[in-house]
Amino acid sequence: MSKNARSNAPKNTPNKGKPAAGKSATGKPSTGKSPAGKPSAGKSAAGKSAPRKNALTERQTPWGTIAFFTVIGLVVAVAIGFAFNQNRSSAAGAKIEGLVSKEEKNRDHVKTPVKYDTNPPIGGAHDPLWQNCGVYTSALRNENAVHSLEHGAVWITYRPDLPQDQVVKLSAKVGATAYTLLSPYPGLDAPVVLSAWGKQLKVQSANDERVDEFLRAFVQGPQTQEPGAACSGGKATA
Amino acid sequence: MTAVSEAEPAAAVPGPPRGRRTIIVLVVAVLVVAAALTVWTQRSDKPASEGPEAGFARDMSVHHAQAVEMSFIVRDRTQDKPVRLLAYDIINTQRAQIGMMTAWLDGWGLPKTDPAGPMRWMGHGGHGGTSLPAGGSMPGMATPAQLAELGKAPGRQAETLYLRLMIAHHRAGVAMAEAVLGRTGNAQVTRLARTMVEGQQAEITLMEGMLTERGAPPV
Repeated sequence: MSKNARSNAPKNTPNKGKPAAGKSATGKPSTGKSPAGKPSAGKSAAGKSAPRKNALTERQTPWGTIAFFTVIGLVVAVAIGFAFNQNRSSAAGAKIEGLVSKEEKNRDHVKTPVKYDTNPPIGGAHDPLWQNCGVYTSALRNENAVHSLEHGAVWITYRPDLPQDQVVKLSAKVGATAYTLLSPYPGLDAPVVLSAWGKQLKVQSANDERVDEFLRAFVQGPQTQEPGAACSGGKATA
Repeated sequence: MTAVSEAEPAAAVPGPPRGRRTIIVLVVAVLVVAAALTVWTQRSDKPASEGPEAGFARDMSVHHAQAVEMSFIVRDRTQDKPVRLLAYDIINTQRAQIGMMTAWLDGWGLPKTDPAGPMRWMGHGGHGGTSLPAGGSMPGMATPAQLAELGKAPGRQAETLYLRLMIAHHRAGVAMAEAVLGRTGNAQVTRLARTMVEGQQAEITLMEGMLTERGAPPV
């Protein structure tokens, strides 16, 4: 392409090889090799007058304009495609149906009991000791579990009357998935509730496919307050 | 543009723009090709959620996390300098590597976990069913009972148990790193996996020697 442009331009100029246009098109590399084109003022004047005649006769098909706008179109298409691609991956999780999000600012460490305004809690002041991730068969202390949420864990809670086969299924899933906790939670208003820091989803069954969606989106997800913090080495018992 | 051509019909329009236009077209064309190449290479470099790179990053993070945990435990159980130094080294190296692998997943925009289970990228079926510890069971990982035993063992006994557990842990870690080396062309992943193979291999030799020094049978 650049060869064509270069060989077209010289045809119109008396002295081939030094068209001003050709030089600036190739840019940096050629500027060092241009001692031959010292009388650039005279040359460019000749260049200006010569193509004017040709241009008048050749103007019928504006290939330059066509190419220019085609190229602009391509750039826009590529840019849009790229932006779309970026968004699609980063917005995952935001589309989970029924997901409740709430901004949680308070990250204080307290040793006293905390009154939380959601059940189970999804953030707020918490105990200095985090709850280790894993499967528990009795209820956990809120203040410890909230600390694990701060570390990027997902806490799966279930009503104690959840059918045993679903408990087994959840236990297997939590057992095989790092940064998750499972515990029964008396008094829940849904059979299974998934909680992360500032995020909550209530489902009617452990088989709901949003369980996996929630895990993919929020296990060490973007809501994590302390990325890299551990979910072991803390409180190991309920 | 239209305003200019109306004002000076014949003089301004026909001449210079043609050459300049060609230049602009050329420059823009170069930019487009560059942009297209960038997008193309980024897309082909960006691993899939189900692919070996992402699977390795997730599973090796879990595997490493347990090595870090065991190393903290043994440092609480013994005052033996070589064992404490080895544990210190493993904690720092593997914890930092977890950070690198987490950053990959962040950069690739992929989930940090696969609820379908670990090691599927290696052709293993999802584990599950009876596994209870967080992180599930992968080859080389200590069981909760073994971790509990380590947490209670006194001095020399803790050292030898730690060495035995960590040799098995490292062997499986080397196997996992070799598995990803055979499955990826990603330079970042290849580089880290290769250092894991070499580093852990060397540590296995070191630990086998330490085990012998303590009069314990080899693993």
